[in-house]
Amino acid sequence: MKRLIALVRREYWENKGALRTTPLVIGAIYVAFLLMSIFTTAHFDNEMYTFKEAIRLLASQPAEFRATHGYEVMLGSSLFFTVVLAFVVFFYLLGALYDDRKDRSILFWKSLPASDTLTIASKLITAMVVAPLIFWAVFVLTQIVMALIASLMVMSVGENPWTLFFSVINPFKAWAMLLVSYLAAAIWFLPLHGWLLLVSAFAPRIPLLFALLPPVIFAILQIWITFLKTFTLNTSLFGLIGDWVANSPAILTAEVHDGEGMLALGVPFTGEFDHAVTLANILDRLFSTQMLAGLVVAAVFLAVALWLRHRATES
Amino acid sequence: MTPIISARGLTKRYGRATAVDHIDLEIPPGRIVGLIGPNGAGKTSALKAILGLATFDGELSVLGKNPSRDRASLMEDVCFIADVAVLPRWARVWQLIDVTEQIHAGFSRATCMEYLEQTKITLDHKVKQLSKGMVAQLHLALVMAIDAKLLVLDEPTLGLDILYRKQFYSSLLNDYFDEQRTILITTHQVEEVEHILTDLIFIQDGKIVLESSMEEVEQRYLELMVRPEHAEQARSLQPLYERELFGRHIFLYDSVDREKLAGLGEIHTPSVADLFVATIKGGQS
Repeated sequence: MKRLIALVRREYWENKGALRTTPLVIGAIYVAFLLMSIFTTAHFDNEMYTFKEAIRLLASQPAEFRATHGYEVMLGSSLFFTVVLAFVVFFYLLGALYDDRKDRSILFWKSLPASDTLTIASKLITAMVVAPLIFWAVFVLTQIVMALIASLMVMSVGENPWTLFFSVINPFKAWAMLLVSYLAAAIWFLPLHGWLLLVSAFAPRIPLLFALLPPVIFAILQIWITFLKTFTLNTSLFGLIGDWVANSPAILTAEVHDGEGMLALGVPFTGEFDHAVTLANILDRLFSTQMLAGLVVAAVFLAVALWLRHRATES
Repeated sequence: MTPIISARGLTKRYGRATAVDHIDLEIPPGRIVGLIGPNGAGKTSALKAILGLATFDGELSVLGKNPSRDRASLMEDVCFIADVAVLPRWARVWQLIDVTEQIHAGFSRATCMEYLEQTKITLDHKVKQLSKGMVAQLHLALVMAIDAKLLVLDEPTLGLDILYRKQFYSSLLNDYFDEQRTILITTHQVEEVEHILTDLIFIQDGKIVLESSMEEVEQRYLELMVRPEHAEQARSLQPLYERELFGRHIFLYDSVDREKLAGLGEIHTPSVADLFVATIKGGQS
C-alpha cells in the first residue's frame, strides 16, 4: 500500500502540469469570463438597469424553478472541465508506459522493488481517481468563487442572494453528482484506458498514431465488409464507440426538456433519452451487460499491457 | 555458503544472435567481481538477465530467486545502475529520495544525504538541470544508500571526473563493502577497479573465457620482460601473448615455473588490462 501511494505520488509529480495546472487555468478562465461579463454590463449600462430587471424577474419565479435551473447550471457549467479532463486522461495514459521507455528511466524504476502490476495499478489509479478528484475539487472551488462574486453583484443591486439562490439550491447535491459521474465514467471507459495503456507499453514511437490507426483501419474494413455483404451500414466499430460515448455516465449536456429540467448523461444522439443524472441511471449503466463486456475487453488489454511492460527492457 | 548468483547453461538469444552462450557461473557472497569483456561480448545481456530485466534460457538463480519472474521481490536485496543517466529528467532530487525511501525498505536517507554532501547537488535540483557527471553522482548516492546484498554496477563512473571516481571507489570499498555484500562491476576502465576486485570474469562472444580469484591470478600469471636476445628462448616457453614495448619483449605466461623465467629478465604480476588483452587476443590467434 505504501509503495502504491509512493508510485501514485510519482505520477502526480511527473504530470503536475496536466493534473493540477490545467484545471486551475480553466477555473481562472471561468472567473475571468464572469468578471469580464460584469464589467461589460457595467460599461454599457451604468445604472445596471437590465441586470436589476433580470434579478427581479428571477426572484419572481417559483422556488422550484430556481432550484431546478440552479442545479442544471451548476452541473452544466462543468462541461468544459469534463471535456478537458477527458483529454488530460487520454494523453496521460498514452504516455504512461511510453515516456520512461523513451528516456530509459524505466531502468531506474525497475531497480525499485515495485512490481509491474503495481506500476500499472498506480497509472490506472492516477487516471481514474486522482485526475477526476483534482478536476472536481478545482471545479467546486471555482463555483464557490463565482458564487461569491455573483452574491456581491446581487447584493449591490439590493437583492438578497440568500433568498434568491442559496435557500433553494443545494450545491452539495450537484457537486456529489458530478463526482459520482466522474468516477462512474472512469469505470465505464476502462476498455479505453486499457487500450491506451497497451499502446503506451507497445508503441516504439508516436503512441498517438498507434492508438488511433488500428481502430480506424479496423472500422473502415468493417464498414467496407458489411457494405459488400449486405449493402447496409449497420454496425461498425465507430458505431460501437459512438454508442459507448453516448451511453457514458458523464455529464456532457444539460437541457430543458418538456418544460422540466433534465440533465443529459452522455450525448443523446441514439434516440433513447433515458440518461438523466440520477444515481439509479448511473448504477444501471455500471451493472449492464455492456459494461460487463467492456470489463472483459479491458482485462485483456491490461493483461497485454502488463506482459509488454514486463518485457520492456528486453533489448 | 549459498551462492549469491548461480547460473547453469545461461543463454540469451536475440533472434538468431546469441548474446550469452551457455554460461555457468557461481558467485559467493562477500566478493567484488569484475565482469570484463570487449564491446558486444554479452556483459550487459548477462547483467540484464541477472537483474530480471530480460528473459533467458537455462537456469539462473539470484539470491535463490528467478530474476525474470520475481524481479520486484528480488529488488529488495539487489540494487543496480544499469546505464548512465537513466534518472527521470522531470524529477527533483528530493522527489527521487522520497520515492526510493517509500518503496525501498532498505534505503537510508541519512546515508544518501552523506554521499550527496560530497557533491554540488542540492535537494531542489531537477535531474535535467544536472550535468551528466552529477546525474551519475546522484544515482550512485541513491544506490549506495540502499542496504542490499548484491550491488550491480554497469559502467558506474562513465562521465565522472577522476577526483570523484577515486573517491567513489574508495567509499565503495571502505564504507559500502563488507562480507555480506557482493558487488558486480563492469567497466572499461579496468585500471581503476583492479585494486578493489576480489574476482575476475572475462567474457567474450557470450562465453566465459576466464573466471578466477585475484589471488589465483597473481599465482598463475606472470609477465616477463626480456631483451631481444632472449626473446626466442622466452617464446619457446609457450607464452599466452607477446608484445613489444621500447625495444623490450614482454611475454605473458599462464602457470609457468617462476624459476625457469627468472634468468631471462624481469618478472611482474600482469595488470588486469594486460591479462585481458592477452586472454582475448591470445584466444583469437
